[in-house]
Amino acid sequence: MSAHAPILAIAVPLLGGFATPLLAKLHKRIRDLWVLLIVLFVGVAVGYVAVHVFTQGIWVYVLGARHPQETVVSGGFPIRIMLVVDAMGAFMGVITALMALVAFPAALKYLPEEEGKTLALTLGSLLLAGIMGMAYTGDLFNFFVFLEVTSIAACALIGFRTWTSRAPEAAFKTMLLFSVSGLLFLLAVAFLYGEYGALNLAYVSVLLRGSAVDRLALALFLGALLMKAAAAPVHFWAPDAYGEAPAVKALLLVVNTQVSLYGLWRVLFTLYGGILDTTVGWLVVAMGLLTMVVAAFMALAQTDLGRLVAYGAVSQIGYMLLGVGVGLVTMSGRPDYGLVAMKGGIFHMLNDALTVGLLFLCVAAVELVKGTRDLRELGGLGHGLPEVALFFLVASLALAGIPPLNGFASKILIYEGSFRASPILAAVAVLTSILLLAVFARAFQGAFLGPRVNVEVRVPWPILVSMGVLAVGILILGLVPGFFVEAMVTPAAKALWLGRSLYLSAVLGG
Amino acid sequence: MTEAIKIETGQGYWAPLIFVVALLGVLILAVLIWSRGRREYKRGTEQELPFLSGEKVENPRVGALHLYWGLAEALRPLLERLRGWHSGNINEYAGWFLVILAVVVLLVLA
Repeated sequence: MSAHAPILAIAVPLLGGFATPLLAKLHKRIRDLWVLLIVLFVGVAVGYVAVHVFTQGIWVYVLGARHPQETVVSGGFPIRIMLVVDAMGAFMGVITALMALVAFPAALKYLPEEEGKTLALTLGSLLLAGIMGMAYTGDLFNFFVFLEVTSIAACALIGFRTWTSRAPEAAFKTMLLFSVSGLLFLLAVAFLYGEYGALNLAYVSVLLRGSAVDRLALALFLGALLMKAAAAPVHFWAPDAYGEAPAVKALLLVVNTQVSLYGLWRVLFTLYGGILDTTVGWLVVAMGLLTMVVAAFMALAQTDLGRLVAYGAVSQIGYMLLGVGVGLVTMSGRPDYGLVAMKGGIFHMLNDALTVGLLFLCVAAVELVKGTRDLRELGGLGHGLPEVALFFLVASLALAGIPPLNGFASKILIYEGSFRASPILAAVAVLTSILLLAVFARAFQGAFLGPRVNVEVRVPWPILVSMGVLAVGILILGLVPGFFVEAMVTPAAKALWLGRSLYLSAVLGG
Repeated sequence: MTEAIKIETGQGYWAPLIFVVALLGVLILAVLIWSRGRREYKRGTEQELPFLSGEKVENPRVGALHLYWGLAEALRPLLERLRGWHSGNINEYAGWFLVILAVVVLLVLA
């Protein structure tokens, strides 16, 4: 069974998600247990795949072959659907599984039955399957299919609260932009299929010549994935989406955004790594700077705690784009600082998932207790909810990159790497972090400080446990970052920056 | 072992545990200085009330929007412009997407 771990990490949440409503008909507790089993199974499978990949190298799994390792037919042509998990894919899988393990138990207590809890759990499970598929697939068309699975599930979750006016509107806007994004991605895949007659990522990568059609496809890939990753100025859907989805489900939406970034890295480094010039790298860097600055300023203008956190989350996407963008710019010469920036950008994906996840759980707790997220009406919650206040403070400081928390560990790599590329990049990144500190200090003061207020509703313990897990993760990643950087981040960065040939040979042989 | 607690940054390294030890040292120093201060503060008395021009204020509370009021006010033109871009109008969002797509196509094909 362990030989099939990569496909099981996708198939179990996919099929399990569809089975969830049926089990809910039997008993709600059976449904809850089922959902927990799905998430636990994904966690174990992803962990197994990650350990295998980080210790033994790329794991190629072929569907429909006599043996899962039979990648090519006679003639050296890969025709079957393939999962290819390198260190970067395994790293993305770990982030996804970690957030699912935190989000689902919290969702079981947070979502009321009368608001369609079964549907939300089903959609969450399908979103998990889509994200895992995007992380593990080695096939361009399958990537598109999983992209659509995540889009549909994410939009349904965003518009889940149909009785409010804003949620369906946010879902509609997101759906429209995701649909355009998906179609552009499909068009790019069609261009490449028309030119080379193949859909296998590694095989197409070898064949790419840099023709006008190849470049047009690259532009479409870039447009589609940058939009889905919420890079400014095509990020507009993200704050609405994060703000309107049930807060505990926003954790998975954050990972959904990150897996689009992962898709972007896969296209740029693996698919186009052989022909890419520095123009695209500078484009990614520029959009990274714009994203962090615009989102941080917009966070300053917010009065809704959920939207403030959402803009904070978008600003962090900018740091990831900056770090990996510097890696793209320097890919031809491969100086050391390029790898440092890459490591920072990739490490920040994990750190961002933890910090933003914790912030969204705090928003969920505040909303549960006070029934509002409006900072003009909140205040004094720190007296009644000291643990939530502490978690919010820790996550805010981590997001702003204050040492010794995890946000600083990844940001210092981004600062130093980007400084060597251009001091202006590092200066903008540091100043944005200072602005974010001001924004989140304001949010903390507004929600948790001030005269005591009555707190009649308690935060359910599974949500507090989920918060605690994330907070401990933030502290551990902050205090011993070297272990995680060496064990997971550096192999992931090298898989993209230096490992294209290994990826291609793992699939095509030779 | 040392690799686990520090990360190489290219031009040096970051060791959080050393930072924590230094931070604890500073905190101990701060507590020592604080403990030598005046002890006239009494909990639950009028000393706890904020001084607002000698006026007694019911429910004195500094709200979230009061903090950094000057900064937000100084940035108001910029924030209003940014808020205008985030209009919530899907036509405008789609327009931005087209603009970015055009820029990306031009850059990649150039």
